[in-house]
Amino acid sequence: MSATRTVRLVWFVTWFNVRMLLASEFFILTTFITPLIFASLAFLLFESGGRQGGQTLMYVALGTGMMGVWSTTLFGCGGAIAWQRWEGTLELLVNAPSRYDFILAGQTMGAVVLGFYGIVATLVWGVVLFGMPLEATFPLILPLSLFAAVVSLGSLGMLIATTFVLYRHANALGNLLEYPIWLIAGLLVPIATLPVWVRPLSWLLAPTWGMEAIRGAATGTEPPLLAIAMCFGLAVVYYVLARVMLVVVLDKARRDATLALQ
Amino acid sequence: MLPPAASSSDRPAIEAVDLVRTYRTHTGVIRRHRLDVPAVRGISFEVRGGELFGLLGPNGAGKTTTIKMLITLLLPTDGTARVMGHDVVKETNEVRKRIGYVFGGDRGLYDRVSGLDNLRYFAELYGVDPAEQKRRIAALLEMVGLTGREQEKVEGYSRGMRQRLHVARGLLHDPEVVFLDEPSIGLDPVGARELRLTIKSLVDAGKTVLLTTHYMFEADALCDRIAVINDGRIVAMGTGASLKEAVANRTIIEIETFGVSAESIAALRADPDVVEVNMEERDQSQILLVQSETGTAITQRLLAKLGETRIGKVVGREPTLEDAYVHLIASTSSAEGAARAALVG
Repeated sequence: MSATRTVRLVWFVTWFNVRMLLASEFFILTTFITPLIFASLAFLLFESGGRQGGQTLMYVALGTGMMGVWSTTLFGCGGAIAWQRWEGTLELLVNAPSRYDFILAGQTMGAVVLGFYGIVATLVWGVVLFGMPLEATFPLILPLSLFAAVVSLGSLGMLIATTFVLYRHANALGNLLEYPIWLIAGLLVPIATLPVWVRPLSWLLAPTWGMEAIRGAATGTEPPLLAIAMCFGLAVVYYVLARVMLVVVLDKARRDATLALQ
Repeated sequence: MLPPAASSSDRPAIEAVDLVRTYRTHTGVIRRHRLDVPAVRGISFEVRGGELFGLLGPNGAGKTTTIKMLITLLLPTDGTARVMGHDVVKETNEVRKRIGYVFGGDRGLYDRVSGLDNLRYFAELYGVDPAEQKRRIAALLEMVGLTGREQEKVEGYSRGMRQRLHVARGLLHDPEVVFLDEPSIGLDPVGARELRLTIKSLVDAGKTVLLTTHYMFEADALCDRIAVINDGRIVAMGTGASLKEAVANRTIIEIETFGVSAESIAALRADPDVVEVNMEERDQSQILLVQSETGTAITQRLLAKLGETRIGKVVGREPTLEDAYVHLIASTSSAEGAARAALVG
């Protein structure tokens, strides 16, 4: 398959998945409303704890926005595959002549791109309701940080989605991964406050570096370039792992006849 | 069209040799026991290029499992299969490029978007040239009679429309071999007839078609050759006419009864001139299908054996493919399967 065809395929699947997700009321509620609730709670908690000021508000807005992105990634990847399994289209996708890793990449990207609405929404929420000043220390690097975060979260989502292809009840795994990652990736609480043994785990996670890249560019508290590089590096590692996993998973699915099970 | 794997033009389009598929399942919650359920027990057949080949059998006979192995969705437990010369286990992508498949039923479409969006999406996945997509989709919509309805969401489609959209989806990349797994299931008579015309047009266009069905008349009307499959094995194979020959020397006496007892049926079966007795349950009545090699002369004797049973219509007729099918299924089933086949007719 030519590079042009591959890009077109991934783009088309991304666009189609965005449309499918937006047709789900539950997804809209999760993606569009939940980050605002997270943000309100966090703003009020920080305020009552005496933590105020523009930097703090920005820290909170970006953190809660990223929580929404992570939730949407998990729900978008797992939910989409579970729904395809239910509709009977999963077999068709897996059995199409196009490479399934490209299809899965497009589906995952669709979810992550939609999830990034959460960051925009929580920033606007912070400005409008909590008087947060909207300014970025490195405005030119911020788009690159956002792009790096999208790519790395998408690749991690794809890696997790391989299990959803194999196991029909993998949604339980998705739910299990939601809250711990919020904590371990330092979305609301700095990683430095976590036990030392947890930190290596944090460094393996895309949301950690995606968060650092975005916060670094927006608030200037940390240098964003290392985090951006880590995002791209992890994205490559996740993608390679996902491809290896897919070979194993699809072979097992054909052996165990699990694709059509609801 | 893509080139076949081998240059030999007489190579079959589909070739299955001793295909076996066993499903593994578990019973129990605390003390789990592994259970191997054989679905296909070593079937072999060939389908020539341009042929419409039917796999006919009752529910659970192994038809869908066979198709799923041939379209690379399932790995065979044993045996080999090739489609257009490509091995279904080792050359999955070569097989996938050359086949289209349609499963019967409501599933397999994105309900929340339009029929056109479904086709555009699958056209991308099936690698249809972007410059070709619009023309191809329009032609297929025309062929399946959905022109003018393509902008509507699929969730509002009738079952017949969904099935026709399935067919269009399966043909998007102009496959050489088309697998149709019970495509007319659940369709009303008009929808089923239209679908049969569509299937015929595929063969006219030079495609090889493998059709599974449990409707005898459908297999008889459409297929060049039919394999009857039961309990995971092929029990007969040939043209509709040759399969009917298995019961050609028989006469079918249909006796409508109301509340017939098992003893009465046993008495019929015990008659020396009766070859086989099957029963179809209707709402209020039971139709006894008595097969005899001595014509209708024994009718009065049979009625006498039914004793006090209330009798409705009695008809003598020539055997059909359905009778041949019932005979084949009943004579090759396990005890449990035979009882089921006798009841479902």
